[in-house]
Amino acid sequence: MADLIQLPRRAAASTINAVTAPLRPLLPPNSVDEWGRDDHLVRIIQPFARLRWDVSVGGLQHLPARKGALLITNERRLSFSPLYVAWALSNATDRPVRFVGRPDHAPFGAALRRVGALLDDPTEVHGALRHGELVVMGTAATSHPRYAGAVDHELVGAAVTTGVAVIPVASMSTAFSRTARAEVGVPIRMRTKRRGPLAEIEIAEAAQRHLQRMLDELGGVQTGVAPIDWLTEG
Amino acid sequence: MRGQRLLVSGMGGELGSLVASLLEDEPWVGSLCGIDVDPPRRRLRRAEFHRIEPSDRERIVDVVTAFDPHVLIHLAVWEPDARAGTAHARQFIADATTAFLGAAGECPSLESIVVRSGIEIYGRSRHSLTRPDESVHPEPTSPYGEMVERIERVAQSVASRIGVAVGAVRLAPVLGPHVPSPLGRLLRQPVVPFSILADPPFTVVRDDDAARAFVAAARRRLAEPVNVVAPGAVTGLQAILRGGRLPMPLVGPEWAITRRMSHLVGAPIPEHVLEVLHRGRLADGDRAIELLGVTPAASTPEVIDRLFAWESVVRVTKAPRAVA
Repeated sequence: MADLIQLPRRAAASTINAVTAPLRPLLPPNSVDEWGRDDHLVRIIQPFARLRWDVSVGGLQHLPARKGALLITNERRLSFSPLYVAWALSNATDRPVRFVGRPDHAPFGAALRRVGALLDDPTEVHGALRHGELVVMGTAATSHPRYAGAVDHELVGAAVTTGVAVIPVASMSTAFSRTARAEVGVPIRMRTKRRGPLAEIEIAEAAQRHLQRMLDELGGVQTGVAPIDWLTEG
Repeated sequence: MRGQRLLVSGMGGELGSLVASLLEDEPWVGSLCGIDVDPPRRRLRRAEFHRIEPSDRERIVDVVTAFDPHVLIHLAVWEPDARAGTAHARQFIADATTAFLGAAGECPSLESIVVRSGIEIYGRSRHSLTRPDESVHPEPTSPYGEMVERIERVAQSVASRIGVAVGAVRLAPVLGPHVPSPLGRLLRQPVVPFSILADPPFTVVRDDDAARAFVAAARRRLAEPVNVVAPGAVTGLQAILRGGRLPMPLVGPEWAITRRMSHLVGAPIPEHVLEVLHRGRLADGDRAIELLGVTPAASTPEVIDRLFAWESVVRVTKAPRAVA
């Protein structure tokens, strides 16, 4: 009769434990949610993100406590405002806030998904809003920090069909300073209720107008160094 | 509703046996008949079982038409590299689909068809949705996804011709004790490869949760597709660390070699599992409660923990020799 050869399982297990032990605090085995956002990773990254953006947040009372909402923020080129607005609001509300606009290829798309990014697709946004998520989308990027670009009405359509609030969030940052601002506005309400696709087009236009008004009220970048502020005024 | 006749194709498999054992306890089930190439993995008290090859269409048609079921639960689905290689799985599925669904079309009492499908049906091409729901058009990108898409298409075609309801239970990868699963087998290896550049999240479902979904689908006469996925998600690396396995980070070209080596050590990595590790596999399972009245009880991390909790080998020690 042949005997079974026993592999050194205990030795193998202890070796594996020794090798993976340094990784374990960084990679907890259960921190990814159903949309791929890794809360643990976000918490690790946030102190480093604060080295770049020190965001002060206002108007949080306008955000729904539990329901989903589509938050529209203005975007200056290369400012990554949806990212820092989403993280700042997530910190302030203690609930995951996602943002739209990840590429779908590794490693950037995969990395952005881990920090809360969604595809730039109305169906994807619709799914997230239906599940009560807060989703930040950017306007079309502009070269001037105080101009709000056009709002993609197809993404707004996802909010309209889900029946959640569309809320403008004015954001302000500069390439020369850490100081940034995210001001949540009141939810957009239209006087005329539309049943068809005009609803999202009109809400998108209204969101752009609201954002522009909020940016005008914010009064531009304030770094504390006047010449820099003048330069960033364009 | 009482006294319903149910036919379960694929009753010999782990999932089929589990579904059959749950159906035996249902008061509305009158008689239960099963067909498979393998005998059932559980002791069944009421079910009548026929051992027939999927290619033996005439015998299958004879048994199915003689039984004349009210509900057909079609579980005769071979996941590639679970019990058969991809080419064999494709052939077995094609044979079984033609035979069972064709025979179902000849049954005058038939009211409902419930087929096993998978969330592989949505595919994971570029810009495919992170969490597709049932309204998303199927665009499979793996052989297994194409197989389940064909099953749904054939079932829909038969159902529309004879005027019965057809429901598709789209399962996440099924994991459970004794369930042959290429994903489960791979994760239980001592060294497990994962994509370091992507490491995407995926979801799974426990075998008994999947079985309860089929029973509910038959009881409710499910007439549309439904995703059945465990809540929560886990990435490849997280699953490996949960199991105390050694993660092997891979970037790209070395996957081909790894797949061959993994095949040699008994854990082949089929296309749809490779897709899980590279592109992830999530789905929106929120409609299950509305359509089936049940929802998976075990979360994805719990299912993964259970995967690693099974004993690898049950050792039977030698009996001590009797001393005269």
